[in-house]
Amino acid sequence: MNEHESMRELLALAACGALDAQEQRRLEEHVRECAECRREMEILAAYSDGLRRMPQPAVPANLVERTRARLAQQQAQAADRRWDAMMLGALALFAWTVGLTGWFVARIFTGGALVIMGANLLRFGTWSVVSTILVWLTAAVAALALGRRRRELRSVL
Amino acid sequence: MILAAAMSVEAVSGAEDTIARLRRNDPDALASVIARYQHRLYRYLLRLVREPAAADDLFQQTWLRVMERIGRYDALRNFESWLFSVAHNLAVDAWRHKHGESLDEADDGGEAPAARLRTEEPDALERLLDFERGAALAACIHELPAIHREVLTLRFEEDMKLEEIAEVAGIPLSTVKSRLRRALDGLRAAMQSRRPGRKA
Repeated sequence: MNEHESMRELLALAACGALDAQEQRRLEEHVRECAECRREMEILAAYSDGLRRMPQPAVPANLVERTRARLAQQQAQAADRRWDAMMLGALALFAWTVGLTGWFVARIFTGGALVIMGANLLRFGTWSVVSTILVWLTAAVAALALGRRRRELRSVL
Repeated sequence: MILAAAMSVEAVSGAEDTIARLRRNDPDALASVIARYQHRLYRYLLRLVREPAAADDLFQQTWLRVMERIGRYDALRNFESWLFSVAHNLAVDAWRHKHGESLDEADDGGEAPAARLRTEEPDALERLLDFERGAALAACIHELPAIHREVLTLRFEEDMKLEEIAEVAGIPLSTVKSRLRRALDGLRAAMQSRRPGRKA
């Protein structure tokens, strides 16, 4: 590639302002002598100028408001998910605390035996199953009711 | 010089403050950032995807993604470049979903646009100046591949440095340069084909 061809390669980049100082200097020296490249440079400069002056598109009506509403909705959903996870953790802790405490208290008051329909409810395994079912059912119903109430309040607001 | 340095420090500290407020989900900070970038971001997306409805949706998705990831944003990075790179990635995903190919596959192969140019371009400058230049260029940009539209809008409309364009598009600097060159060639070819009385 001779000097003229290598300079032609730089012309488009010059129009983009993408040459380093040394390349720019070499190109300027070349175009002083080369009418063809000088002409090409002028054309590309006109394109570059035109590109900076293109008609600007208008932002659609309410785009910012719609974006903010969508963000608010997303943040509310994320808050709901965090609340649900926190509620689930709290319920698990509550259920196991109530179950274990109840077991200890019942053992103290009954001497370790509470037989119903032939089964000793105070055996750890039996107590765990029964108390887990009862406490979890109650807690799940409470969580659902609270969650629904919270969503209703948000939709009203 | 000292004043410029002081202003620059002030700008950086202001940007850091805004980022910190965004991380706390401060609605005022969010509103101010969206308002500040709305025109530029929408213009970039519209140039890239061409369809107003798609640009509208991508604009909203970009802010959703920004707020999802603001916690992981490195404050040492240029926020603008990061914002546009988020938008770029979403546009690429949308393009792939719609067309089944990556944005990059849509070009960088085949005949160079320059090869389609006539070797002589008589009165090109005058024609360009006489023709409603801006509007004609905007129409011609529509005909270019997406990756060429992207580098042109980032360079000439967003006034980004080449390094910033590389960061936004996730490509090497050398690729930015080659895309810019090919994009300008393509634009000239498109402008030539629009010359009155000449078939495309």
